[in-house]
Order: sequence, then C-alpha cells, then structure tokens
Amino acid sequence: MGLLQGATELFPVSSLGHSVIIPSLLHWSFKQSDPTFVPFLVLLHLGTAGALLVLYRVEWVAIIRGFFTAAVRGRITTEPERLAMLLLTGTIPAGILGVYFETRIKSLFASPYVAAGFLIVNGILLLGFETLRRRAERRAALHTKTRVEQEQSFAQAERISFRAAAIIGACQALAFLPGISRSGVTIGGGLLAGLRHQEAARFSFLLATPVILAAGAVEVPQLFASGVPVGEYLAAAVLSGVAAYASARFLLRYFRSGRLDPYGLYCIAAGAVSLVLLTLHA
Amino acid sequence: MKSNSLALGLVVVAVVFFVVGVLYYLGVLQIAVSDTHAAHHTTHAILFSVLAIASLVAANFAREKAV
Repeated sequence: MGLLQGATELFPVSSLGHSVIIPSLLHWSFKQSDPTFVPFLVLLHLGTAGALLVLYRVEWVAIIRGFFTAAVRGRITTEPERLAMLLLTGTIPAGILGVYFETRIKSLFASPYVAAGFLIVNGILLLGFETLRRRAERRAALHTKTRVEQEQSFAQAERISFRAAAIIGACQALAFLPGISRSGVTIGGGLLAGLRHQEAARFSFLLATPVILAAGAVEVPQLFASGVPVGEYLAAAVLSGVAAYASARFLLRYFRSGRLDPYGLYCIAAGAVSLVLLTLHA
Repeated sequence: MKSNSLALGLVVVAVVFFVVGVLYYLGVLQIAVSDTHAAHHTTHAILFSVLAIASLVAANFAREKAV
C-alpha cells in the first residue's frame, strides 16, 4: 500500500482511487470503514509530503522566508515572495473545502465501482486539459516548433495570477472524489492558467505539501492512539515517501516535453478494466 | 488596491476568524462538524487560525504606506 500510494499520489492517476480499487481487486484485508483506514492513508500521505519537502527543501526555505518578508513588509518584491503568497492563496480554498466537505464526500463515494467510474472521468479530464492546451499552442502559432520550444513559450509558476492560484487550489476539492487525481486537476488547472507542464507539476507539488502536512498533523495522533501496528505503518509511510520522491523526479523530467495524454488514456483503460473485473468478481 | 478602510475591515475579519477558531477548539461551536460530541475541533480551529493570519497579511498589503 505504501509503494502504491507513494507512486500514484504524484502521478495524475488518483492515489485514492487506486487505494480503493486495488485492495478490493486483490482481496487485501484493508477495511475502508475501519476507523484507522483514513489515519493510515494520511500517514502514507505524510511520507509523500516528506519526500516533497526533501525534493524542494531549498525552495521551501526561500518560500517560508519570502512569506514572512512579504507579510511584514506588505509588498511583494521577489519571485519566492510571490510564490509564497500564491501558495497561500491556493491553499485557503482547498483547506476550507477539505475541512467542511472532504469526509462527507469521501464516505458518500467510497465504493470501488464509483472509484473506477471516476477514474474514467479523470482520464477524460486529463485529455480535455491537453486538448485545450493544444488549442492554445495553435493560437500562439507554436505548432511548428519543437516540444521543448513550445513549452518555453509558457509561463513559470511565479507568474500566474492570484485568481488562477485560488481556482487551482479550489480544483483540489475535486480530488475528494475517489478516482479524480489531485495532481491531475491541479496540473491541468496550471496548464489552463498558461503554465509550462513542468511548472504546472511543480506548482501542484508545492501546493500539495502544506495541506497534506496539516491533515497529517491532525490525523496521526488518532492512529497512534488506536493500537494498530505502528511500526509496520511507519515502514509503509517510508516506502510511500521513497516511491513519491522517485515519482516526482521522474515526472519533473517527463514534463519537460511530455503531456498528460498517456495518463489520461491509462486512467480510462484502468477504470474500464477495473469496472469489468469488479463486476465479474461480484 | 490600497485603502486603510479595507485594511481595517480585514483586521476585523481576522479577529472574527480568530474568535471562531478558539470557539471551535473549545468545542463551543458545533457547526458543520463530523463528530458533535468531540471536545475539540482541532481541524476547524487550525483552518480559522490560518484564515485569521491570511486576513492580517491581506490587511498589511491593503493599507496605504508612507513612501
């Protein structure tokens, strides 16, 4: 589960969807109704957040410093300061929607069938984001250039508007639906806001870290108080972090010229196959 | 958009958020919580603390500054 969660969290293929579907298909003994299931998943997410903190350690130091400098001065003068305020702007809608709706939505849709259905929807969304990006590239007459040159024509994360950051942050709420990928919708939102693929992925990863850390800080004490095998769960969290670190490095390299299309096609195929297998095993 | 009135309004909003956060933490407020019997609603308290800080930051951005 640790490797699965860590690998799928940052890929735009929905870790929650996979962690609902795969245990059901493989008849693993995870009970999603168990009170320790959500804290366990949060612990795995903490592994992911830890990996992202390690990956962006230098950037986070600059962002935190930039936040305090800009907050006290009341003015943004550098790119890390702007990025810090963009991340704050993107985190607030995600935080509000998460606190008030996440539990209800997740419990409403926590079925492998629903997750498989939303995985197909996720795939269609990813293909839709890329269709819109290709249209923007045609409008800017970039279709004759190489992929790397095309990407260079789009913006860095620091340059998006605060409104776009808030909308991308709010898009994270879609990921409460199992099967819809948080990184998928935020990377897609970044593309619509005019970011390069690599920068959209970077903004998505940076945006994920504070929310995951805050959720973990709240949920983990419940896990330790519940008498579960904490050692095994911590080992799973470490595996999750290792897988997430490798995934993030791969994705940042891939998105220099790669697109979301393969992941969209994978989600549609995986969702359809899961629906068939779940129906046959029922 | 620079305005001292806007900055003052944001400070008031920050105070309201802070009070709401404290009330959630103390278990006095039970609006839109998953467990109405819990003594503390830490998640809600953290959320409103962050909103209070964000409002104060926004107030500092909004106020007119001497050049």
